[in-house]
Amino acid sequence: MSTKKLCIVGGILLSFPRHRLSSGGLMVTPSPTTAMHYMSIKCVDVRKNHHKTKWLMPWGPNQCEKIRDLDEAMSRQIEANDIVFAVHIPLPKKEMSPWFQFILVILQLDIAFKKNNEIITLDVSLAYRDDMFGEWKEMAHAIETRKLKCSFASPKTIEHEGRHYDCDALTFMEIGTVAHKFYLLNIRLPVNERKQINVGIGEIKDVRLVSIHQNGGFTKVWFAMKTFLTPSIFIIMVWYWRRITMMTRAPVLLEKVIFALGISMTFINIPVEWFSIGFDWTWMLLFGDIRQGLFYAMLLSFWIIFCGEHMMDQNERNRLSGYWKQVGPIAVGAFCLFIFDMCERGVQLKNPFYSIWTTDVGTELAMAFIIVAGICLCLYFLFLCFMVFQVFRNISGKQSSLPAMSQVRRLHYEGLIFRFKFLMLITLACAAMTIIFFIVSQVTEGHWKWGDFTVQGNSAFFTGIYGMWNLYVFGLMFLYAPSHKNYGEDQSNGDLGVSSGEELQLTTTITHVDGPTEVYKLARKEAQE
Amino acid sequence: MTGTRLLLTVALLCSCTQLLADANSWWSLAMNPVQRPEMYIIGAQPVCSQLPGLSPGQRKLCQLYQEHMVYIGEGAKNAIKECQYQFRQRRWNCSTVDNTSVFGRVMKIGSRETAFTYAVSAAGVVNAISRACREGELSTCGCSRTARPKDLPRDWLWGGCGDNVEYGYRFAKEFVDAREREKNYAKGSEEQARTLMNLQNNEAGRRAVYKLADVACKCHGVSGSCSLKTCWLQLADFRKVGDLLKEKYDSAAAMRISRKGKLELVNNRFNSPTQEDLVYIDPSPDYCLRNETTGSLGTQGRLCNKTSEGMDGCELMCCGRGYDQFKSIQVERCHCKFHWCCFVKCKKCTEIVDQYVCK
Repeated sequence: MSTKKLCIVGGILLSFPRHRLSSGGLMVTPSPTTAMHYMSIKCVDVRKNHHKTKWLMPWGPNQCEKIRDLDEAMSRQIEANDIVFAVHIPLPKKEMSPWFQFILVILQLDIAFKKNNEIITLDVSLAYRDDMFGEWKEMAHAIETRKLKCSFASPKTIEHEGRHYDCDALTFMEIGTVAHKFYLLNIRLPVNERKQINVGIGEIKDVRLVSIHQNGGFTKVWFAMKTFLTPSIFIIMVWYWRRITMMTRAPVLLEKVIFALGISMTFINIPVEWFSIGFDWTWMLLFGDIRQGLFYAMLLSFWIIFCGEHMMDQNERNRLSGYWKQVGPIAVGAFCLFIFDMCERGVQLKNPFYSIWTTDVGTELAMAFIIVAGICLCLYFLFLCFMVFQVFRNISGKQSSLPAMSQVRRLHYEGLIFRFKFLMLITLACAAMTIIFFIVSQVTEGHWKWGDFTVQGNSAFFTGIYGMWNLYVFGLMFLYAPSHKNYGEDQSNGDLGVSSGEELQLTTTITHVDGPTEVYKLARKEAQE
Repeated sequence: MTGTRLLLTVALLCSCTQLLADANSWWSLAMNPVQRPEMYIIGAQPVCSQLPGLSPGQRKLCQLYQEHMVYIGEGAKNAIKECQYQFRQRRWNCSTVDNTSVFGRVMKIGSRETAFTYAVSAAGVVNAISRACREGELSTCGCSRTARPKDLPRDWLWGGCGDNVEYGYRFAKEFVDAREREKNYAKGSEEQARTLMNLQNNEAGRRAVYKLADVACKCHGVSGSCSLKTCWLQLADFRKVGDLLKEKYDSAAAMRISRKGKLELVNNRFNSPTQEDLVYIDPSPDYCLRNETTGSLGTQGRLCNKTSEGMDGCELMCCGRGYDQFKSIQVERCHCKFHWCCFVKCKKCTEIVDQYVCK
């Protein structure tokens, strides 16, 4: 492709994400998620033995026997084990919808006095129903422990009595699909003096919950985007592979990696989430994580291999095994994160209240996985930086000796240098955009109070960045597909530059018609000279 | 302390009906329990006219937003409690006088104390309305900016629910300021100065709640990373709001009305107050002695601290009139063993303490 065409295509590609960020993100997309507050209602379980599950409703018909505060319970001599904190999700007059995709619930405790024991044991059960007057059906029941981390802001004097501790919010529950309209949570805090359960948690004033779910509007925009992107990436992928198979030689490693990147992008694009609207597939969250992980691993591997194939030294690579040192950490890191995710979200398929962070062993295990993954990522970046550095060193070495080369070889090297620099530039731009938007979305939280701009910007960040990386992969496959013009019959005489004038070739591959060995021969000769 | 205050209030209620001011205030919602909405749905109209202390504008708002009234009452109650806490050691201790004017004639004077009272009660309303809104108790808020309950499910599905602190702020502005806005005084008059002062202080109180609400966030991206983050506003403890307003009280600016009908600083050397600052137009009356024209209750019979050199010290509190000493037995719970609810086993520890009461 000529430089002129390249500029046009590049310009169009670059204008796309901006356009999406400014208009699509800000106007159409509502904020990605919403948080809802719930104050739990304190119900009294009046039955003698609590063996049979009975659901206590905080409001509406058949509501439970309520107490206003726990002092009232004290005067009426109600036992702690008889008190049930009931929360109905959502609030009155509203209903949940499959478009919400997931519900994440956070627990906040208002504690007045506290001793040192910091483990709280919760007996929680979750039920659902689909019509306002139906029977509640149990969805999950578990006895969970959580570690309380509380601090008291002001000095503990009489004057400050009545103030609450500032307790960290506890992750309470996560469900991967919202297949039902109404959910009911019943939380008990059983007390057992003998087993030292919930003896030292202090005086609990209130149990508050915050539930987070994806917004229906955002889900729709997101789905639409995925549905639109899937065929576009898929078509370019098919076109790309056809170009490669049209050639007489076998595809080289770099081409295979680009193709694999296209596959993983398509995999992440395929809007299987549509099924979550009709089916109760709780594994959708986990599946989404796995898809994202695969894509990241592929992208990172691609960068390494791209650098390696442009090294322009005498080593023959073109095999994946040649990159084990660099790709190894990616594989290990990705595997660690996969195991971690399986431990957290995998187990949550069975028990939505589970969290790996609640136990000491679990925390250590989770930390171990994350640290190993972090080390792998650092190693990877060191390798990548080193390789980029090497390529640039080689480039400057080559550039000085370029005029002395034969035309074929000169064009070959100039092509290599040009396409490496081009990808470098585009990649850096994309990465910088991602990082900038990430930082902006994290930092602006302090200004979140004033107006809706940042919230909206946040969803623009998602759609924009997602679209940008799609375009990146699209552009890669489009620009790096081998040119069919150059691989005609006139190729054998090595008259590469004549057909397309003096323009540089972006699509020159390392290999020639005769296969990869030719280039390496050239390279070796060069090295020997 | 509370007991004494209660006694004092009761005693005052009995003895000094002459201190009653003619002006009623919406603060009275705190004193007369407002019926829960479900109880008066049948005969909706009369409730608002039965509530004492509402101005015509407020009465209209009451008819439109009946379910809000309970929470306004709750907010006012909280505000009074907070005011009494913040001023427990001052000569004027925010005591309530009666059920209609609530604080009595002292509020007729545009003093610092009045400024604080207006601010804290406006803050109380924002706090209470926001809280009720968050818990889904109010049909007009929570999900949609405009009050259209019919469209509510669709809005909620599309973009979640709006910010309830903002709703609380806006409603409190409408309701609390209604009284000031419906009066029209001549430019540069005393009454206009007072109206402007009240508006400024109400705004300062509302802003205090908004300013202290902090943002809590939760990360929930891939593998729990922070690629996705949801934030929400969390209302601060009302005590913190009280603390902030007390600070504003200490740094309140003295103002006077200009000929153009605007408030201006008495002393130009200071910076002019922002919307978050309290202002006052009159000097505080003498709170030492009982005075029926100002409405001051005097400090006679108040407890004081002999060793303290601050405002709660007997020297200052009793305005040099001296104090009586008596011994009292204080029973405190100690060595307690308790569960998180409903079970407390304590020992009783008794202590004999010296207490001082102003003459």
